[in-house]
Amino acid sequence: MKDILDQVNHNDGMTVPEGYFEDFALRMTAMLPEQEWEKKEGVVLPRSWWQKVRPYVYLAAMFMGVWCMMKMFDIMRPNSSGIMFDNNPVLTAAIDNDYFFNDYIIVNEEQLYEHEIIDDLYETGFTPTAYPDSDDSDPSLVEI
Amino acid sequence: MADEKQLDDKNLVARLRDPSECRKAFGDLIRLYSEPLYRHIRRMVQSHDDANDLLQNTFLKAWQNIENFRGEAKLSTWLYKIASNEAITHLEKERKRAGISLDDEEAHLVNLIASDTNIDGDELARKLREAIAALPEKQRLVFNMRYYDEMKYEQMSEILGTSVGALKASYHLAVKKIESFFERND
Repeated sequence: MKDILDQVNHNDGMTVPEGYFEDFALRMTAMLPEQEWEKKEGVVLPRSWWQKVRPYVYLAAMFMGVWCMMKMFDIMRPNSSGIMFDNNPVLTAAIDNDYFFNDYIIVNEEQLYEHEIIDDLYETGFTPTAYPDSDDSDPSLVEI
Repeated sequence: MADEKQLDDKNLVARLRDPSECRKAFGDLIRLYSEPLYRHIRRMVQSHDDANDLLQNTFLKAWQNIENFRGEAKLSTWLYKIASNEAITHLEKERKRAGISLDDEEAHLVNLIASDTNIDGDELARKLREAIAALPEKQRLVFNMRYYDEMKYEQMSEILGTSVGALKASYHLAVKKIESFFERND
């Protein structure tokens, strides 16, 4: 008997039409009725006020963060003045004033002609006789 | 292979318990178990058409009761139990419908095997099927599960609700009867 069972080797000799199991799985899956608990699962719960608003708040916070970051980088930039002439009325007025410009902005005196300096001195009421001990006094100026 | 199947079962059970995954997981379950369950049913009822209908009923019943499946028993045990009950109920109904006794059922099943066109032509395999068809219903189930499915007695015990000792005795008796069948028909 053992020989017979060994010869048969667990083969039941039964065959099925070609592709039967693949077709069966498709047919069977499509045939499954909808269950009550599946319907419940599909119910969408109402969203709270915060759940509705949350994405917009996060978006606004993200833009705010990006703006702050850019502002910070701008301030940290080494050659940044941080203050624009056009927006500052005090600086604009100062630059329009020749006296201020000559005295404070043009720091290299070699750029100025000597007579311009003398003109400036006279216009501000300078008299060489008022400074008789001055070593730098020019005798030609005293005669005037 | 057995470990792979156990892993598949574990994963499937977890997915079957998740309502959002359950339908998809059940599709995988059908693909995984349709062939072994089909063979299990067909060895009992012999006809391909009947086996096809009973396999559909098995999966429909499993789907309808999936909510009650707690994963305490093995998935295969649960499915084999449903399939076995379906096959036995079908045979009882057929007997009542045709008005035949349990003894006459043997001749009916042998006729079905003889007229079966879905067979691979192995004469010895066909003869063994005829010998199995001559066994009482419960012995037939036990022999099929042990010999063809190579199922452990412990799992068979869970499926059929019979003690392991009784199953071993039943298998031993079935083998003896098949042996006698071959001796008579040589």
